[in-house]
Amino acid sequence: MAPSKVKAGAAKGANKRSTKPSQSGSSSKAKKTGPKPAPTQHKPKPSTATDKKRKPPHMRYTEKELKIPQLNGIRPAGVQKPPNAKKGKNFVDDKESMNAIMAMVMAEKEGNLESKMMRARQMEEVREAKRLEAEKRAQSKKDGLEGRKEELKKGSKKRRKSDGDASTDGGAKEDASAKKMKTQRKRVSFG
Amino acid sequence: MRPLTDTETKTLFEKLANYTGRSLNNLLTDTVSTPGSKTPDRYVFRIQKDRVYYVRESLANLATSVARDSLLSLGTCLGKFTKTGKFRLHITALDVIAPHARYKVWVKQNGEMPFLYGGHVVKAHIGRWSEDAPEHAGAIVLSMNDTPLGFGVTARSTAEARKLDPTGIVLFRQADVGEYLREEDTLFTT
Repeated sequence: MAPSKVKAGAAKGANKRSTKPSQSGSSSKAKKTGPKPAPTQHKPKPSTATDKKRKPPHMRYTEKELKIPQLNGIRPAGVQKPPNAKKGKNFVDDKESMNAIMAMVMAEKEGNLESKMMRARQMEEVREAKRLEAEKRAQSKKDGLEGRKEELKKGSKKRRKSDGDASTDGGAKEDASAKKMKTQRKRVSFG
Repeated sequence: MRPLTDTETKTLFEKLANYTGRSLNNLLTDTVSTPGSKTPDRYVFRIQKDRVYYVRESLANLATSVARDSLLSLGTCLGKFTKTGKFRLHITALDVIAPHARYKVWVKQNGEMPFLYGGHVVKAHIGRWSEDAPEHAGAIVLSMNDTPLGFGVTARSTAEARKLDPTGIVLFRQADVGEYLREEDTLFTT
């Protein structure tokens, strides 16, 4: 390859040298030089042909064309990717795939949000129910207390009677003190 | 500089969707007409080192002529990928997400400075808020005259926040525009 290039370059140089001094004249020389680059142009073509030949085997023919007996097609556990799969990162730059990813994310987020709101609403309901129950219980307790108070208020009249009893008790105390006096009289002292 | 991979795109969208909701689609469909070209230009996401930029496609194409290690920044920086693969939004993303915000919190005049100095938003400082916001949802913080000041995450749902005492935190700060001054020397270095 390299020597051919050198030749081509030399030919071109020769052309320039030949053409520059005789710009006005000889078209015949130009004709002579004309065919020279043509073979150089032809030379790369076979090289491209060799490039075609150099293609990896799986590009040149498929396995079906080879007519080989079928092998066990089970992929070993360690090998996840087929040998021809793209290596490295998968970039997302087109609008469609981006929209697809966004739709997926949005659905997930909406679901999350929805469930969060639902849960919050349910919790709020439960809290409300608990609050109502607690209020009811407090009310019943209060009612019970009120009832008892009323009862006691009604019972207080009896108490007053009992107060009267207490006053009579006071009289009894006096009686008792009088009795004590009597008992003191009976007492014998030594000093 | 390169486009994002599928997992990176998913992580980014998940983070952005916290703040924007359904209208995130507008980020992809937004176009801008350039005087030179016949077709309107669209916006794309590009990653340079670990930072993600929201940039006009024509600009991104021009930037391919700058060497990777010489390219400092282009377009609007949205945030960065951490080494563990999570995405962290920067304050520079505020201009992109604020118009599409789902939940908003308006802060009263007396609450602006505490927020801009990096404090969380307490109930006493709130002027208005979006109704029906759940707990731990992304929200944009605005001043009473609708200037975006930053963004954060709700600490309580709106219903619970109503019962909160005035010093209780309603919104955890994630970023505020005060960072442009506070983080001046690290915000744009890579």
